[in-house]
Amino acid sequence: MISLYAEKMLNIICNDTLEARLVCMFKKYGVSGYTIVSARGEGSSGQLSDMSGFNENIVVKAILPESRMQVILESIERKINKGHHLTVYITDVQVITPNKFNQSIG
Amino acid sequence: MSLSSLLLPAVLFFALGVIARLIKSDLKFPPDLAKVLSIYLLMAIGLHGGYELAKADMAIAFQSIIWALILGFTLPVVGYLALVATRKVNPMDAAAISAHYGSVSAGTFLTAIAYLDNLSVEYETYPLIMLAVMESPAIVVGLILAAKARQSVAAREGIAKSTPDEKSTEKSNFKEMLRDAFTNGSVVVLIGSMIIGAIADPSGMDKLKPFIDEIFMGVLCLFLFDMGMVAARRIGDFKQVGIVLAAFGVVMPLVGGVVGVYVGASMLDFSVGGSMLVGVLGASASYIAVPPAMRLAVPEANPSFYLTLSLGITFPFNVIVGIPLYHGLAKMMVG
Repeated sequence: MISLYAEKMLNIICNDTLEARLVCMFKKYGVSGYTIVSARGEGSSGQLSDMSGFNENIVVKAILPESRMQVILESIERKINKGHHLTVYITDVQVITPNKFNQSIG
Repeated sequence: MSLSSLLLPAVLFFALGVIARLIKSDLKFPPDLAKVLSIYLLMAIGLHGGYELAKADMAIAFQSIIWALILGFTLPVVGYLALVATRKVNPMDAAAISAHYGSVSAGTFLTAIAYLDNLSVEYETYPLIMLAVMESPAIVVGLILAAKARQSVAAREGIAKSTPDEKSTEKSNFKEMLRDAFTNGSVVVLIGSMIIGAIADPSGMDKLKPFIDEIFMGVLCLFLFDMGMVAARRIGDFKQVGIVLAAFGVVMPLVGGVVGVYVGASMLDFSVGGSMLVGVLGASASYIAVPPAMRLAVPEANPSFYLTLSLGITFPFNVIVGIPLYHGLAKMMVG
């Protein structure tokens, strides 16, 4: 039987213009990796994406140990306080290679 | 306004896109199609323009650049003052919206070229350099206006000044934005293609003719077809922006159009076609380069406002009503 280890997954829905800044933040705080997928939808501030390839939304996902989460959430909160529209939620996930998530990108 | 101007295939395809969306057709374009087509269109027009500009008068080209900068820096200030005077939007929204109106829409410009070609009206190639130059200054003005508005809000609400650390981050972000404003994709494709068109071997350019000339109008139709659907999606947000802002989306291009045609006809001494193209530059609002810049630099502004105005109101207005109007105006001013 393969062992499973508990980790946290950070999910961020935002406009793709923020992608570079989020990636920079992940690297700064030693996140092991991230995945970005295109998204579309609608929210309180209207339609989020034009679906024309110009104003796209993305979902950014990163798995990381809970101990590293706080500092990243504080950085995200600063972005939200500046007015950026980010929807952030954290989910519990189970992984089979916990060591992988203790390393940094690179 | 003659009916023939509305019966241009590109304009008809734009209308088809709007109708397809309004009747809830299941028609869908691949997600990045508009982006791919706009790169092709900018590349084709850049190569074409560069080839022609190599034979042009550099003194007039220089004057065109100066006037493009003047228009790019002043139109957003006019838009900002008008928006703030309406008291319908906060200064951050006003800064973000006005930046869109100082910048330009390549889609509108290319439709104007299709319109002139259809009527066999000659035009100078200098407005093409102006198109490239006018992409960015408005972003800088938008950033400055937003920074001023942010300072006055902070002073009014007694918010503590930024710490030295925060100030240094803000400064480096501002520098990054400025770099982004002048290196955005549209500017690189357009200026790069113009340089290639100007220095490339003419026989090599001849071989490119089918690519840059013969399929151009077909691609423009496809682009406007897609943009019609995108614009119609934004028309639904019309209620959210309100009647005053919606009126701004029509009045501001008229103001910019009149100023642009005047600059083309009186300051640059262009022909009817060339003056009309400068009018289109003054009238159009960006929907490619400026929205991402404003999302990053002015996150407090509501993206729904500026996207609905530039894509849902001003773009359709210019394509259907504005272009023939600026043509008529250019005919009057050039005489």
